[in-house]
Amino acid sequence: MDIRKKVSLLLIMLSIILALLPLTANRSFSEEPSGLLAEVLGEDVSFTVDEVAEFIVREDPSVRLIDLRPEEVYRKDAIPGAINVPWAVFIESDPDAWLSNREVRTIFYSTGNSEADYALVYARGMGYDNSYIMDGGITEWVRTVLETKFSGERITARENALFETRRRAGEMYTEYGNLPDSLKVKFLESRKFSAKKLDGGCE
Amino acid sequence: MAPLSSLYEFPEWLNMLTAFLIGTGFGFALEQAGFSSSRKLAGMFYGYDATVLKVFFTAAIVALIGSQFLGFFGVLNLNQVYVNEFYVTASIVGGVIMGAGFIMGGFCPGTGICAMSIGKIDAIVFVAGGFAGAFLFTETYPMIEGLATAQYRGPVKINEVLGLSPGVFTLILVVAAVGMFWLAERAEKRFARPDITNDL
Repeated sequence: MDIRKKVSLLLIMLSIILALLPLTANRSFSEEPSGLLAEVLGEDVSFTVDEVAEFIVREDPSVRLIDLRPEEVYRKDAIPGAINVPWAVFIESDPDAWLSNREVRTIFYSTGNSEADYALVYARGMGYDNSYIMDGGITEWVRTVLETKFSGERITARENALFETRRRAGEMYTEYGNLPDSLKVKFLESRKFSAKKLDGGCE
Repeated sequence: MAPLSSLYEFPEWLNMLTAFLIGTGFGFALEQAGFSSSRKLAGMFYGYDATVLKVFFTAAIVALIGSQFLGFFGVLNLNQVYVNEFYVTASIVGGVIMGAGFIMGGFCPGTGICAMSIGKIDAIVFVAGGFAGAFLFTETYPMIEGLATAQYRGPVKINEVLGLSPGVFTLILVVAAVGMFWLAERAEKRFARPDITNDL
């Protein structure tokens, strides 16, 4: 066979192998810098800690929390159900691993806002419009949800509901944080089970 | 995992030396392949010699396949490889100017320098023209800035726009390239010009 035909055949065979390999790592920002900046500075990309508290209490299946703090900090205390993907790991790997399901809203949080903001720019820049941040991070969570206190004489129904949500989310947070790692997964499962039983609905 | 110079933190002189050696090798290969002859290069447009297409396209697909494999095995971090930004208008206007210059001058910028280095007078004029163009572009840039930066699309890759995996896109491109080579060789036979040789 002609050498040129051999080379052509070799190149085609190599590219068939490539076509079968899972190559997803090399991706680029798909958005214009100014557009991306306007998007991530907008209101629609962040949730307040109260909104997140409500997701937790309701155990909303359409929401997923990603904790960007280092593993040792995450082990001490984390929002129930959050997955730990330290920032350094997140930026090195393919975000598809966590963000591929577009139906699920992914909320990043870190200690303050910094890493969550970086992750948001990175994820939105890659075209994952299902990514959000929890405004203020864990610092704001602790300040608002855990240390919430009602002072005053009368409480409106709305305030009462908000207070109740914060209290329940805070309770879950503390309870979850006190459990050994091996029981954390079970904790969430058992809660789901009891919630179903309480609702008394048909399965 | 990165291109060599950032992986090993080359000192400046070594970085420059590497670039010099790679450049020399590239120039040598171009000259050896006959790319310092404007007759061979212009043959692309008239169909009697498609060497340019075959050489550059082969180089591109070999580099494409090689970098994908290196990326897959973790030797090369493709996220750190620079992707050219896409300005639609500038690409079209620039492409037309480049093509016109190529057919009129008989060289593309790289092969022009290659031919100049072996002392071809037409190549010296060609490179001088290139520098004049660069000078003119810089001096008139404020006037054409709107055109140069219009329709910015960012560093997009074709496979991402088409929603294909890089591997599948590589396969399509390689098959297309081999198809083009076959067509080009048929054209070479059809438009053969035995009177044009590489001799001066």
